[in-house]
Amino acid sequence: MNCYIAKKVALLVPLLFGITFITFALTNALPGDPVYNLVGERSTPEIISKVRKEIGADKGIARRYVGYVSLLLTGEMGRSYFTNRRVLDDIVAKFPNTLMLALGAMVIAVPPGMLLGLIAALKKGRFADRVISAFSISLLSVPVFWSGLLLMLLFGLVLKLLPPSGTGGLRYMLLPAITLSLPALGTIARVTRVSVLDVVDMPFIRTARAKGIASSRIKAVHILKNALIPVVTVIGLDFASYLNGAVLTETIFGWDGIGRFTMEGIIKRDYPVIMGCIIVGTTLFVLSNLVVDILYYYIDPRVRIRGTDR
Amino acid sequence: MGLTGKIASLFIVSIFLISVFSPYLANKDPDAIDLDSLHMPPSLGHPLGTDNKGRDILTRVIYGGRISISVSVLAALLSMGIGLLVGLVSGYAGGKVDTVFMAVVDLVLSFPSLLLAIGVSVLFPPGIYTVMIALSSVGWASFARLIRGQVLMLKESPYIESAHAIGCNNWRIVFVHFLPQCMPLALVMTGLRLGGYILTESALSFLGLGAQPPTATWGSMISANRAYINSAPWMVLSPGIMIAATALCFNLLGDSLRERYGIDREGRAG
Repeated sequence: MNCYIAKKVALLVPLLFGITFITFALTNALPGDPVYNLVGERSTPEIISKVRKEIGADKGIARRYVGYVSLLLTGEMGRSYFTNRRVLDDIVAKFPNTLMLALGAMVIAVPPGMLLGLIAALKKGRFADRVISAFSISLLSVPVFWSGLLLMLLFGLVLKLLPPSGTGGLRYMLLPAITLSLPALGTIARVTRVSVLDVVDMPFIRTARAKGIASSRIKAVHILKNALIPVVTVIGLDFASYLNGAVLTETIFGWDGIGRFTMEGIIKRDYPVIMGCIIVGTTLFVLSNLVVDILYYYIDPRVRIRGTDR
Repeated sequence: MGLTGKIASLFIVSIFLISVFSPYLANKDPDAIDLDSLHMPPSLGHPLGTDNKGRDILTRVIYGGRISISVSVLAALLSMGIGLLVGLVSGYAGGKVDTVFMAVVDLVLSFPSLLLAIGVSVLFPPGIYTVMIALSSVGWASFARLIRGQVLMLKESPYIESAHAIGCNNWRIVFVHFLPQCMPLALVMTGLRLGGYILTESALSFLGLGAQPPTATWGSMISANRAYINSAPWMVLSPGIMIAATALCFNLLGDSLRERYGIDREGRAG
């Protein structure tokens, strides 16, 4: 077991290095000199070169990269050019909001998604399957920034049941969480359906039936447990991408999380903020994938024997 | 192809035709500002109403679709091209080249895709080419992985062995013998992914990274008019319906392609 997990963990190191490198390269290739944004239009060359020195923009790109990575290794991410606050502090402060939203979305999406997928698979080709399949593919096709606006219009502005935007408790969270959960629900239903169909024809299901095990028990234990693996992957991936900030949903609903923070950083060309957000977000994404891989190990004995991925 | 697949293809073909012939179908100027008819609800003169500058929404939806669809399709084809090249070279060369290419592919796939697309698109001044570059710099990786798998499978087949035996050089083998064998798979994969490209394109335009005003795209029409959603919801409804309907039809078409060719079974659209 340890070999499998150790291998996965060891692969993280070059991956994380690659991520910092790409992020650094991307942000440094950004057009528009942040120095001009900082000093404003009417400033003297002396001020410009002073600010340049302050933020370290006078050094070569390689030295800045080495500097940035060594900063990261000490657990620092630099300060925002604009607010002069430590980027890591802001990320830590906003992360619980993003986490809450992501958890909320998953709580709304997972149970109905799996249930619909299971029903569709067991009724394959029948009316229920068609309705569920049509419903889940439609959920995947609607852009979240549009469904979010419609939900905001209906529940926030017309019916006035929920606050249309802002950050706060459950009442504020409901609309963005539902918005996020819609495509996830569609994906989970589809994946559950496909993987249940894969399992249904397996010889061990036939054996279970031949042994006279009740059909409800076969569905609940034999089929669902074996069909779970791809479903866990999808849930993990979706959750990971919400954790790293649902940029669109948070921007629309004014939810004070990582996604909105990223977007603000991009608009203001606030390099330390952009780099910090992308690195934290991608690291979380990669780590959640690792957790999913480790979960496999426990759900699926076949992984334990082969010691490789799927 | 089932009935849904047929209906979806019909819709896609009509959208394509409307986009190609939009200057003949819509007799109004999509960017013409008319201060006498601001925020007009749907009427005979303006079937989908007008926006906050009095521009005809139907005309803008038609012209916007032209941009949204061509950007998505071109970006998908560009991803396919890059993916084919990388996949063919990586699979055929094997060894170190393969290791390096696949490490890059894994790296790109380890980024959350929308975040990476946003990251790439802020590198360039906003516009349709920027969106195309952003979409394809994210999208090529999954194509490369798929094609590489196909090449690895084909490598063992007798006809490639014969090609080696009669002394074909590497370029000839890759481009004359592998490429045609990989094309159908690559094209099917492109079809499968188009719904996703439409959605990401609209998200980038919504964020203001795509075509700049006054040019209309479906995504930018929604972001420009979202402030009026309470007083004039029709301004936001029609472009959203178009995005959803187009993405849905591509996804439905993708499903029937998937069923027919049995690839990419993870159940994800886009």
